[in-house]
Amino acid sequence: MNEDLEKIKAAGKAWEEGPLAKALQRFPYLNAESARFYSPADLEDFDFLEKVGFPGTYPYTAGTFPIEPMAGLARLASMAGKGEIPGAGGQTRAAIYSGYGTPEDTRDYYKGLLEKGGRGGPNLAFDLPTQCGYDSDDPLSEGEVGKVGVCVDTLADFEIIYEPYRGDLDLDNIASNFTINAPANIIIAMYAALAEERGIPLDKLRATPQNDILKEYIARGTYIFPPAHALRMFRDSLVFMTEHMPNINVTSIGGYHIREAGATREQDLAFSMANAIAYLQVGVDAGLNVDEFAPRFTFNAFGGSMELIKEVAFQRAARRMYARILRERFGAKDPRSMRIRQAIGAHIGPSSTTLQRPLNNLTRAVIGAVASVLSGGRPLPFPPYDEPLGLGWSVEALQLAQDAGRIIACESRLLECTDPFAGSYCMESLTDEIEGAAWEELEKIEKQGGAVAAIENGYMQREVSRSAYERQRAMESGARLVVGVNCFTGENELEVSTNRLVANPYDPEKREQAEEKQKARLAELKRERDGREVARLLAELESLAAQEEANLLPHLVDCVKAYVTEGEICGVLRGVFGEYKAASPF
Amino acid sequence: MADSVVKGKVRVLIAKPGLDGHDQGAKVIAYGLKDAGFEVIYTGLRRTPEDIANAALDEDVDVIGLSILSGAHLSIVRRLMAVMDEKGIGDKMVLVGGIVPDEDIPRLKEMGVAEVFVSGTYITQVAEYIKDKLGIVQA
Repeated sequence: MNEDLEKIKAAGKAWEEGPLAKALQRFPYLNAESARFYSPADLEDFDFLEKVGFPGTYPYTAGTFPIEPMAGLARLASMAGKGEIPGAGGQTRAAIYSGYGTPEDTRDYYKGLLEKGGRGGPNLAFDLPTQCGYDSDDPLSEGEVGKVGVCVDTLADFEIIYEPYRGDLDLDNIASNFTINAPANIIIAMYAALAEERGIPLDKLRATPQNDILKEYIARGTYIFPPAHALRMFRDSLVFMTEHMPNINVTSIGGYHIREAGATREQDLAFSMANAIAYLQVGVDAGLNVDEFAPRFTFNAFGGSMELIKEVAFQRAARRMYARILRERFGAKDPRSMRIRQAIGAHIGPSSTTLQRPLNNLTRAVIGAVASVLSGGRPLPFPPYDEPLGLGWSVEALQLAQDAGRIIACESRLLECTDPFAGSYCMESLTDEIEGAAWEELEKIEKQGGAVAAIENGYMQREVSRSAYERQRAMESGARLVVGVNCFTGENELEVSTNRLVANPYDPEKREQAEEKQKARLAELKRERDGREVARLLAELESLAAQEEANLLPHLVDCVKAYVTEGEICGVLRGVFGEYKAASPF
Repeated sequence: MADSVVKGKVRVLIAKPGLDGHDQGAKVIAYGLKDAGFEVIYTGLRRTPEDIANAALDEDVDVIGLSILSGAHLSIVRRLMAVMDEKGIGDKMVLVGGIVPDEDIPRLKEMGVAEVFVSGTYITQVAEYIKDKLGIVQA
């Protein structure tokens, strides 16, 4: 073997000095890094079982599962006929991220989907007041009620949204998704209260609340309380769910948001792992065995760039790193604890899309979906091409995104080989490189005291902002090329535009009226509920919140049952915990 | 406005109105304008129109840059303009950056926004625009 390697190295040297040097002379704008060639010399001492392993086995480099459930073409084709391939969208699936205006508007939207044959539970987008812990009648909510998702002030809103989910689609038969972080425990309490009202045992509930507060400070911005108090809230939900709602995913940790905010690939991986470690440690510190709760951790999605080869390596590196953290650091024994389960795999991010010649975004999303399949994920082109237009996804864009995924699966047959790059000198080298850099960055965070400390001192936020600025500068200098934005923009190019022929399912007039309607209904509800009981529950909440060891979740269930509003609960908690003040970016 | 010459460093307030937490665009612009020689003040998240007008007044800025990605731009700008008028700073240059559908750009300009910068904008474009509008040769 060593003798062979010597031979290969010698041949490599001869190649560099001979044919490569000649070629570089001929094309002086190139260098060896412009199109790097990897040989066995780049991958000395490669140990397949240690570095890659078989799909679905430690360290999961080759894949989370032994075989991709979507890989069977016969099954795919039968699903395709019914329009059921879990694509980026599609009108018959309720699982697309959605939520419009008032709870009534959202209920009607889901009702329509179910009438067309949709079967999935809702994947709820909440409006910003709900995400930030303000009621619809709060002055800070003005102009934002029902805008980027549905508004939820009280359990009454949940009761309305879930009206269509009855019978064989009741809460014990569907899975819900909640994109909610800072007030996640209140939303979880509402779901539990709704189930109790309907006589459905809590252990039958399936859902995924995002419940990933740490990345909100780094990337997404819908935080409320200081990080340490937010982690206590996380502990409360983790412990409560482990005990009473074992089929609810505790969290959906977002790598993608951090990348979207500007992080490099390595920062994204390191910061996401630092956050995951903080969450895992919370469970361990609460006295739980890691294998009791880690299998219920999920990841939202890793990914977010157009660099296909490196994104494939990144997915592989992420799986391996997480598995190592779980096994080596937390002593997990259950393989399910060590797996990264993500809703979607590699994909480009909305920040990779362009307003200019927007149909090009379909091409971009397809490249992301190809990266996903090549790295053990599903063909889910995301986002729909009209994402950057700011008008909401059109039905046409959703259809095309879904079709693109189907074409990848059914026509290109890209799923017929699992981890096709396994053992590739290039791919294994890049996987090692990305993982190594992420461990280094993670060590920096550990030295500061972990994720919470590195958020409190502003380190992660500043690093991400700095990277975002570098990215912008690279675009302006031309070091990063974006077609139609900073290159190929001449007068000879055709500025292809798009139009919308199919009406959006959400009537713009309803959207305009949503805020007033919701405020009126909230005012009525506040008049009708038992005000003294509300006051009593809030006073008790205040006292419980001040006791660090108390788990607030059972009390939150009592609060929401009495129609205490989300804003009232958050108001009391703000008083006890304080509010997070962001560090200066300078 | 083009003939009013600002002496010394141009002061720019970058503000995030509303509840939208996507602040990387705001921070990137803040870094970029600072590097371009402007004095930059960043408000942080979740500022009300009153907060922003007060900050503009207190910091005596020449330009207010709003970063909005949530779709709430029309209502936010309408309220900010009213508050600025009340406080007697209705003539300050207001710029909007973020995700703004084409059809809303003229509506924002009618409300008094000087310019709207959407995705793909170079920071140098924004810097040049401000200098040009304020009649500055060298910031």
